[in-house]
Amino acid sequence: MIQEEYRGARQWSRNRQAIAIVVWISFLTAAIGTMVFFALFDPVALSGIFDEDLEIGRQAGYAAGFFFFWILSAICSAVTAWLVRTAPKRDAQHR
Amino acid sequence: MSSGPDNEQVQAAPMYASAEKIYPREIKGRFESLSKLATLILLGLFYGVPWLMWDERQAVLFDMPARKFYLLGVTLWPQDFPYLALLLIIAALSLFFFTALLGRVWCGFACPQTVWTEAFIWIEQWTEGTRSRRIKLDKAPWSWNKLRRKGSKQLLWLTLSLWTGFTFVGFFAPIRELGPDLLTLSAGGWAMFWTLFYGLATYGNAGYMREQVCKYMCPYARFQSAMFDKDTLIISYDETRGEPRGGRKRTADPQALGLGDCIDCSLCVQVCPTGIDIRDGLQYDCIACAACIDACDSVMDKMTYPRGLIRYSTEHGMQQRDTRILRPRIFVYAALLLVLLGGMVTSMATRTPIILDVIRDRNSLYRELPDGFVENIYTLKIINQADDNRNFRLSVDGVRGISLDGVPAAVAVNGGGVLSLPVRARAHRDDAYGIMNIAFTVTDVEDASIAMTEDSRFLGPTP
Repeated sequence: MIQEEYRGARQWSRNRQAIAIVVWISFLTAAIGTMVFFALFDPVALSGIFDEDLEIGRQAGYAAGFFFFWILSAICSAVTAWLVRTAPKRDAQHR
Repeated sequence: MSSGPDNEQVQAAPMYASAEKIYPREIKGRFESLSKLATLILLGLFYGVPWLMWDERQAVLFDMPARKFYLLGVTLWPQDFPYLALLLIIAALSLFFFTALLGRVWCGFACPQTVWTEAFIWIEQWTEGTRSRRIKLDKAPWSWNKLRRKGSKQLLWLTLSLWTGFTFVGFFAPIRELGPDLLTLSAGGWAMFWTLFYGLATYGNAGYMREQVCKYMCPYARFQSAMFDKDTLIISYDETRGEPRGGRKRTADPQALGLGDCIDCSLCVQVCPTGIDIRDGLQYDCIACAACIDACDSVMDKMTYPRGLIRYSTEHGMQQRDTRILRPRIFVYAALLLVLLGGMVTSMATRTPIILDVIRDRNSLYRELPDGFVENIYTLKIINQADDNRNFRLSVDGVRGISLDGVPAAVAVNGGGVLSLPVRARAHRDDAYGIMNIAFTVTDVEDASIAMTEDSRFLGPTP
């Protein structure tokens, strides 16, 4: 069949799919989280709460917040994906 | 497969049966023009908007360091966050509405992933040539020609990516200062970082990941079918008309050969950016870019068969039944959209351009003055959201005889400025006991209709 030859033969392995999904979805979640969080809190005001001597610029604060949310949601997302994938086989039959 | 165009390439293809990469074939046609137009408009908006000016300032600027958003004539503050949330809800609802009505037009014509992939494919075609040339080039051993073509593609890709990153950051920092700063490497570290970050993400997504993003990573691609019904516009292959498919001479009579209209030229598969065969039916990999419609129409024209073997249709349409555009689902989405949009416009049009925040001094509950008065200390934050300087009058009520001490008759706040004002409120101890509710009001001196009231507490001794 001709179409088989033209068909997108490019398939990602399950691991690669999982990594891509985890990274991307946690990125989106982190973007929304950062937006909501910093609309409510000013990073400059926040840095004063933790340590009075700590002087963080707004931009560094935003970036730190974003990466914090990204790493947090990536961990959550990765553990979820891992648990779902490694669930015992016999349970899968009852789904 | 005798009469399909480019037979040579069709035969050369089996060598690529397990190729890692999809080489979408170039195609001309109605939908290709439409998609080119959409791509140019959207890219034009993205690259152009940060350069627009509005009275001495950037027209659209999300000034994160200053925590202010400029949108044409409007200045938005963190306190205006509900508008942003509302805007996101409206965007999501519009996506539902258009999906129910037109299927995946978003995916095919407006999604950034599609738009930038399109732009990157233009560069690829310009530097490496047509689909068959690209396949050959990838297979060929390294040569001066290959190096030159691949090198110029990478150079253009990287330039476009970096420019994209720069433009993206230009929405958050004044772009006219950012450009020279980046070139002279004097921009802040974070501006550099985000330029590279966004640039490399563009490079990876549009240059390499392409359809894989839609297939594996996009949540919308997975749930869009929930908005579909039998009257949603989809791209479909007319199986009853096309089957049984098979090659034939242009002059042959398909009926005599017992064939349908599909000549099995595989062009529809070759042009597909996600590498599917639309003749297998509706698939979630299909981003509805309509490239296969253009391809098939061009073949039908050559064969002098009527167009539309692959066409925009609906499930009802394919079953020869009437398609209903106006159906409950559409009305519900449209009504919700109208209500939200109307609410947002009204609330933005009638919003008072001042914000008042009252922060009670937490260090002391109250202070008793020698003359029998009780005093509480507050910090008032007055934000003037208008663009011009204004004068405001302050007042307080809620407790009999309460007054502000040491506050001028009017305070001036610059356009777009914030005034932080410590004030002392006083009331006689006979009137102020326990916890009492009070309210501060700021009023524009020139226009009393511009006023804002904010509640707070006044503490006094227990009676």
